[in-house]
Order: sequence, then C-alpha cells, then structure tokens
Amino acid sequence: MSKESETGIGSLQRSGFVVRKERLYARLIAASAVLTILVTVGIILALSGRAFSFWSEISPVTFFTGTSWSPVIAQSYGVLPLISGTLIVTVFSALIALPVGLAAAIYLSEYASDTARSILKPALEILAGVPTVIYGYMALVYVTPLIDSVLPLSAQVIPPGVPVLPEFTIVMPSLRTFNALSASFVVGIMIIPMVSSISEDALSAVPDSLRQAGYGLGSTKFDVSTKIVVPSATSGIVASYVLALSRAIGETMAVTMAMGMSPQMPYFPNVLKNLAESGQTITAAMVQIAGADSLGSGPTYEAMFALGMTLFVITLTMNVLAELVRRRFREEY
Amino acid sequence: MATEETGDQLGQTTRLRLQKLKGQLFEVSLVAATLVGILALLVLFAYISVDAFRPGAASPVWFLAYFGTLVAPMAAFTLYARRKPAVQETNARAFAAVFGGLLLSVVMYAVIDSLSPYDVFTYVFFASIPPALVLTYDRTTDDRTYTGPAIPVSIIVGLGVAAVLYDFVRGPIGIAAEWIMYFGLVTVPAALLVARLTASRRGRRTGAIAGGAVAAGGLAVALASIVAGIDASLPVVLFSGSVVPTSYVVWRSVRTNPEGRVGVVGPFVLIGGTLLGASLVEGFGIDNPDTFLTPNLLLQSWDGLTASNAGVYPQIVGSIVVVGFMAVLAFPVGIGAAIYLEEYAPSSGWGGRLATLLEVNISNLAGVPSVVYGLLGLALFRRTLGFGTGIVVSAAGTLGLLILPIVIVSTQEALRSVPDDLRQGSYGMGASRWQTLREVVLPEAIPGTLTGTILALARAIGETAPLVIIAVATTTYSPPSGLFSSATALPLQIFAASANAKPEFRHGVVPAAAVVLLVLMLLMNATAIVIRNKYGRGN
Amino acid sequence: MSEPDTSPKVQTTIETGDEEPRDAPLNTKETIIETRDLDVYYGEEQALDDVSMEIYEHDVTALIGPSGCGKSTFLRCINRMNDLIDSCRVEGDVEFGGKNVYDDDVDPVALRRKIGIVFQKPNPFPKSVRENVGYGLKIQGYEGDVDERVEESLKSAALWDEVKDQLDSSGLDLSGGQQQRLCIARAIAPDPEVILMDEPTSALDPVAASKIEDLIDDLAEQYTVIIVTHNMQQAARISDRTAVFLTGGDLVEYDETQKIFENPEHQRVEDYITGKFG
Repeated sequence: MSKESETGIGSLQRSGFVVRKERLYARLIAASAVLTILVTVGIILALSGRAFSFWSEISPVTFFTGTSWSPVIAQSYGVLPLISGTLIVTVFSALIALPVGLAAAIYLSEYASDTARSILKPALEILAGVPTVIYGYMALVYVTPLIDSVLPLSAQVIPPGVPVLPEFTIVMPSLRTFNALSASFVVGIMIIPMVSSISEDALSAVPDSLRQAGYGLGSTKFDVSTKIVVPSATSGIVASYVLALSRAIGETMAVTMAMGMSPQMPYFPNVLKNLAESGQTITAAMVQIAGADSLGSGPTYEAMFALGMTLFVITLTMNVLAELVRRRFREEY
Repeated sequence: MATEETGDQLGQTTRLRLQKLKGQLFEVSLVAATLVGILALLVLFAYISVDAFRPGAASPVWFLAYFGTLVAPMAAFTLYARRKPAVQETNARAFAAVFGGLLLSVVMYAVIDSLSPYDVFTYVFFASIPPALVLTYDRTTDDRTYTGPAIPVSIIVGLGVAAVLYDFVRGPIGIAAEWIMYFGLVTVPAALLVARLTASRRGRRTGAIAGGAVAAGGLAVALASIVAGIDASLPVVLFSGSVVPTSYVVWRSVRTNPEGRVGVVGPFVLIGGTLLGASLVEGFGIDNPDTFLTPNLLLQSWDGLTASNAGVYPQIVGSIVVVGFMAVLAFPVGIGAAIYLEEYAPSSGWGGRLATLLEVNISNLAGVPSVVYGLLGLALFRRTLGFGTGIVVSAAGTLGLLILPIVIVSTQEALRSVPDDLRQGSYGMGASRWQTLREVVLPEAIPGTLTGTILALARAIGETAPLVIIAVATTTYSPPSGLFSSATALPLQIFAASANAKPEFRHGVVPAAAVVLLVLMLLMNATAIVIRNKYGRGN
Repeated sequence: MSEPDTSPKVQTTIETGDEEPRDAPLNTKETIIETRDLDVYYGEEQALDDVSMEIYEHDVTALIGPSGCGKSTFLRCINRMNDLIDSCRVEGDVEFGGKNVYDDDVDPVALRRKIGIVFQKPNPFPKSVRENVGYGLKIQGYEGDVDERVEESLKSAALWDEVKDQLDSSGLDLSGGQQQRLCIARAIAPDPEVILMDEPTSALDPVAASKIEDLIDDLAEQYTVIIVTHNMQQAARISDRTAVFLTGGDLVEYDETQKIFENPEHQRVEDYITGKFG
C-alpha cells in the first residue's frame, strides 16, 4: 500500500451520473413532501368553489342565522339547528372524555408501573381505533336501550311546599330511538385516547427535578401530582382538550347513526331534554345530502360544501389554537 | 424519639393518615377512570359478540365438547410453554406462519379471483420481466450504478407494454387453464422466496432444490385436483401460500432450534382441537349455537330479506382491494415526505421555513374531519378528473389522502429514533445522503415505519364517512373487478344495514358483520403492537 | 499481533517524545493538508479564528486544548463533516494535496472517502462485523475481493484475532474497546489518505485506550493521523506534532511535540500544559 504522492490525491469528485441520480431522488422525495401542501390547497379549493357559489344564492346571513334546516323538502338552509346538534354532542362527550382522559393521563404518567402502562396504553389506543361505524351501531342498538331502561328519571330540586320558591323538578325523559345521549356517550369514549395520550406526553415532559423538589418539601404523591405536575403541564392538557373537542365536532358516522337526521334547535330550560331527543349535526347533514340520490348540482348539493367549509374552518381554527398552546408549552422547558 | 405521647405529634399522625387515605382514594379513582372507557368498550363488544355468535342456543354439552378438545389442550400447552422463552418464540412463529399463510392465501385468491386471474397475470408478468432482466445484468456485470433507477423505470415500462399489448396477449393467455395463472402468481414467487432463503443459509444447490421442490409440489397438487375433478386454482394457492410457509417454518424450527421445537405444535393443537370438537358435535348431534358467523356470511353477497342468506363477501374483498390500492398510492408519498422532513430538509433559511410550513400543514391535515376528505375526493376525482361515481381509484385515492398525515407522522417518529451517531458514522465513511439513508437509516427505521403503516391501514379499513360522501355503493353483488369498477367496503354495509329493524338483522347479521370488521382491525392492531414490542426495545 | 507487552501506558508524569523519531526527519516530510486563515462560525458565534497550519504526511498530529476551544471543529473542517450542520459557515482555505476542499468542484462525499474519521463514541452500525468493515467498500463500489480487504483491515486494527470467528455476528455485540477498533478498521478499509480521530479513547477504559494508542502508532506507517485529545499525556506519547488551541478558536502554538511539552514559546501554552489553567 505504497502511497506515492506523484499523482496527487486523486479525484475529489464523484461520477456525474451518481450525483445526478441522487439529486433526482432528493427531488422526488421533496416533491412528495410538497404534495402535502397541495392536499391543503386542494381541500380549500374544493370547498370554497362550491361553498361560495352556494352563498351567492343563499345569503350567508340567512345561512348562519336561520333556525330551520330542511334542504330537501322546504329548501330552508339555516345552519343553527345543525350547529346546536354538533354543540350538544361536543359538550356532553367532553363531559365524559375530558375528566376521564386527564385522570387516565395522570395515572399513566405518575402512578402506573411499567407493566401496567405497557398494557393500558395500547388498550386505550384501541378506543380510538374502533371504526366509528361500529360505535354508531353499538350506540343505536345497545347503548340506547341500556340507558333507557332506567329512564325517565326525575329529581326534585325544590320540593313542593317550600315558601316563596316554586316547585322545581329536573326531569330526564325517556330516550328516543335516535338520541343525543348515546351518541355523546360513544363519541366521549372514542376521544378519551386523544386526551389521555397528548396529556400524558405533557405530564411526562415535566422535568423530574420539579417532582423531586415537591417530595423534598414533604409533599405527598397526591400533592405533587395535582399541585406541581398538572399545573406545570397545563398548556399541554389544554391543547389535548382542544384537539379532542375538534375531533368530536368532526365525528360523523357515530352521530349520524345514533342521533338521527332531524335537526332541532336546543330546548330550554330543561337542558336534559336535548339529550333524550334526536337531532342532527353538521356532519350528519352532509352524509344525508350525499346519500340522497340524483344530486350532483343544485343548491342542496352545494350546501354540503358550505357545511364542509364551515366545519373545516371551525376545526382548523381549533387545531391551530391547540398547536399554538402546545408550542408555548414546548418552550417552557 | 420518645415523643409519641405528645399530642402535637399524635395530631400529625392523624393528619398523615388522612392524607394517605386521600392519596389512596385519588389513585383508585385514577385507575377507575383509566379503565372505564376500556371496560365500557368491552361490555359493548360482549353484546355485539353475543348477538353475532348466539351461544344461548347451544347445549351445555357443546361447551363441554369444545372445552375438552380445544380449551383444555390449549391451556395445558400454554401452561407448559409459560417459562420457556424458546418454545414461546417458536410457537409465535408457527402461529404466524400457519394462520398468516392461510389468511394471505385466502386473501390473494379472493382478490385475484375478483380482478380476473388472467388480467392480473398479464400485468404482473410484464411488470416483473424487465426488472428481472435489470437484476440479472447487475449480477453478471457487477455494475450497480444504474440498477436503482432502472428498476422502477423498467416496471413502468413493463406495465406500459402490457397495456399496449393487452389485446394481443390476453387471447393467447386466456387459452391456458386458470390454475396456471395462480401457479405463476403464487407458486412461482413462493418457490423463488424459499429458494433464496434456503440458499442464503445452506448454499445455492440446496436452495435450487428447495425451490424446485415447491414448484413440483404445486404441480402435483394441481394434477391431483384435476384427477379428483375439482378446480385446481384454490388448492394450488393454498398449497403455495399456506402449506409451503408452514412446512418451511416447522422444518427450520425442528432442525435448528432443539430447545424450542415443541413450540411448533401450538397452532396444530388449535386446529386439531377445533376439528375434533366439530366432529364430536356433528357425530353426536349436539346442538350448535345459532350463530350468524357462518360461511354464508363470509362467502355470499348481501340479502336484505333473508338473514341466513345475507353475506358480505363482496364488501370484504372490496375493502381489501380499496385499502390495498390505497397503500400503493399513499405509502410511497407518505414515507417520502417523512424522509424529506427528517433527513433532507434544512433547518434554516428558505428551506427551513418551508419545512416548518410543511410540519404545521401536516399536523393540521391530521385534524381535518374525515367527511371533509370525502368532499375533496368528490371534487378531485369526480369533478376534476371526471372519474365515475364511487370507483376503486377514487375510494382508494380519497382514503390515501386521509391517511397521508398518519403515515408521515409515524414514519417521522421511526426515523427520528435512529441515533444520529449512525448517520455521522456513515457520512464519515464517505457515504452520500442517499446511501446513508438506504444502507443505515431505513433498515433501522423499518419496524417503526411498519407499525405506523399497519395502524394507518387499520384506520382506513374502518373509515366510512368519506366513502359515503363520494357515493361508494353499499350493496353490490360482486367484488370490484378492476381499479375503475365500482368499489364497495364492509363498513358501508354495516352503516346501510343498521337501518334494518328486523331482529335477525339488528341482533344477528349486522353484529356478525361488525365482528368481522372488528377482527380485521384488531388483527392489524395486534400485528403492529407485536412488531413494536419485538423491535422497539433496541431503541 | 500488535499487542506489545510493554504497555505501562498509564503514567502520571508527562513523558515527552521518547519514542525514536520515525525513519525520516520531520522537516523533510511533505505537506498533505494546509489550512490558511481558516475562520469558522456557528451562526453568529466564531468557533475558529484565523487558523493556519500545515500537516505533514505520515505524521501523527495531535490537537489539544481546553473544551470548547475549537479543536474538534478544526478536525471536522478537514473532511467537511461540518457541512452537515446547517448553521456552520467556513471562510478561508483547507488545502488537501494542494486542492482547496471548499472549492465548488469538490464533492464532500468524495472528499470523505479520502479522509476518514473515527468518533469519540464507538458507533458501529447495527450490522455484522463483516458488513461494518465492508461498508466503505460497498458504498464506493469496490471491485476487488471484499473479504480479503476486510481481513486486512481487521488485522491492521489489531482486531482480527478477536473477531475472526464471529465475522457474521453483530458489531454491537463487541466490547467498547473492540467496537472502537472496529470503527478504526471500518475507517481504514477503503484505504484513505488521512484518518481523523475525535477523542477516540475518551469513552474507553485505560486498557482499551492503550490498545488504541498502540494502534495509532502503527497506523502512521501507512496513513496520516490527526487526533483530537483532551489527554495531554496521550498527545505526548503518540504524536509527532502537537497543535495547542486555546479559548476562542485560537491556534496558539504548533510545533514538534517534544518542543511543545518541553519548551513552549508561549506562556499561556506552558500554563495550560502544566495545568495552571484549562
């Protein structure tokens, strides 16, 4: 291996073909990354074209303030009943998923042994992996009769005979075949993992030194978890909540199958009646229009895109919000 | 520390005890919260399974028979293998080979059958000859410079040639018997694979002999079936896709793994027990459960009037075809995008800004509701490209766009877990970025990527809303016959049939179809988890 | 093979160049690498300040200095490993065999095939021993007998006797010291001109480290070795020339090792070497 320096050190270049080949690969790879931007652009174009042509026929004011949604029969396009249906499902599923998800996150991050975590985490992920059409079916066929078997319930908040105050009773009426309660229940279950996994990430990211400091001051595990770890991870937890809500808003099959197709404005003052009655969400209305035959044009068909646009803007705003909150929390450590 | 009697101290202990109680209550409630969702789902699964399976109609003797032939032997075997890792390892491998092979061959047969074996054979043949020539050139001349780019190009050229020559070639190919197509599509690759695996361990000669044996076996099976007067196609596929891998794994375990060789018995205990149980039940006329999980369900098409005739065969095959083609469309793009973001994208300047934009964009795409993807698919495939309503390409494309962010994010995670040391080492050796990627980074990232892509498949197979929006047909009476024929999918049938209020549908066929979908999805999830646990520990 | 039993290498006093000078007198060796006015910045921060030095063929050149002084940066400039850091900016010349490696027509990938590198932490690929050593040959499209070259390289890295029966087991199954020698074998397999070593023994125990030191001595017969070390005894033991970098990326003094350790010109260098600072 004699190294005569007479020829210098040889070429410091590679074969032109190899360089060009690798440049081509790099471009192909970059192109597939840029394609994801085109997907977003495509979504915006696909939605806005039809949606704006719809809003040129039906004024946005009518659309966003109308209280009656009956596109096929009455040609009335008021979106408020749909928004009301979506909100009912979102709020009641959040009542289930947010506390349960956070508690699960605290357990997994602070209390669970490695073995427990390695079993429970995939099990929780399954909750989000079950096809929503099966959730819808289960809500319709099993959950509704199960809950209905104990209904109606009434609780007297203010018994009769109390001076000055009127008699007041909260009544949870019997459930309709299609109802918001069972839909909210299954949606709540399916978004638990969204809350628990993102919150758990946030909780685990809290540096151990903070926990040590807490224990050093003689705190119990309860105090450390609730007064040190959870507050430190607030922004991550909030982000997980927002993402879970956004997921609930966009959920389609379960609410279509379990909640029905009859748009309703909310009932007051007995809020519980909203749960027992059927309703329709934005997504369910889209499915209904898509399922109706002989469409492909006309204001009703275009209304589907207007609804899609509304949904897209709402969820996008929430996702961006969650991302901003999450950014802040990443910077904290 | 003799201060126990001071009241002060005593008060503190009471407080401590209270605090401890509070902590325990808190922990119990956390456990309850973690379990409540899982338990609720399990209860619902139990309901749905009971409806699908109807164990109520079976006589107690039925349970006793299967307990004796199936449950007890399996439990005994599991108990025996409990503390023997070598046996468990072999057992897992045998299970994967037996049931994976069986599943794979049945799926292959069903898909090829629905797409027409002659067409599939024509295209596969033309698409595999050119790359084979390229590889031969690579072998004989040791010139690797052009191999990489030549393979995809040659495949595309081959497909193009097949499309042009289709009318000329299809006729002559159509003369051959159908089983010959399956022989070419399944037996030949299986023989080549066995030959390669054997050759890498025991030399070329043995490899060639093993491969030849597989091919000869396939021919023998075909001949036997013809002599017996049955269609040879399915036997050939079952032999090549199921018997061959099973015997390969059994043979290898017995030969090379004396400690764990008992493990290969596992799947056969299960199969034998089931068969024995079934023959006992049959022989003694024991009452079976009134189950809806029947061969009819899996092999017939839908019947909205008679529950016992209703089946979801077209929907199952349709789901597999759609999701399979979706994988072909979406995975290369998704993996490519992830590679760009993790390995190529600069972190500063314009490129860095683009990368940040891409990251934000992908996380937003992941949050877009699936119905909205349906609208995108509608606008893109029906309006812009003018495709027909609800065809396989549109369905696969729409689902592909939907799972793209999932594939990207999980592949990114897999790439990120490859230690940077290895990249540095490779660059330091004078490897280019591409070589580093191909030789060092990708091989390390494969298990993680596989996990992510399987989870994406599982998500896609249950996805319903976008398919409803692009108006994919719910009930068809035959599976899709090509990429441009009308698609169908299992979840759509469940959605459509949920409106059927007849009890034998509501509490029978539909839950049974749901169980099929759930089993598909859980199998995928389980595979992903197994891969993650097996390969994830190294990182 | 190269396991001399004379290895009382763990010393407490600084032993200076008592190894006999190599065949040729130092000053007649040819220059293989020359840097001129080399400035390196990471973003706004300057990591090397106006470094000019010549490195001679078949020398072992040690780069020493306190941590953060820029010695690793200098090393990584030579084969353009710094290109992989986005924020890094290089000004000035690094000539390798008379050619500026930062010229536009120089491909850093091709350059690294001539100038190999061994890192602080052993980083064998999760592949077999054979594939590890053969890696450079594979990516460069080596046309000769790979197995033969693998054997030669493992012998040169004093590892052959220990691994010849486990060439197909994973490189990660070896001990730390063996892994580092595997990395050295990997670096020399494609037969580079120069081998850069970035604190190659700092993650190893003293026995494993002394084996590597012996090896470096042998490698200098065939290759030019540039080694970064924070261990002054090591620099004194193994190098022909030593460059002392002090804070701020300054090359303060560069001379024959013996001179640096016995009679440095600068007071700061003497302070550093005698442990008064750094």
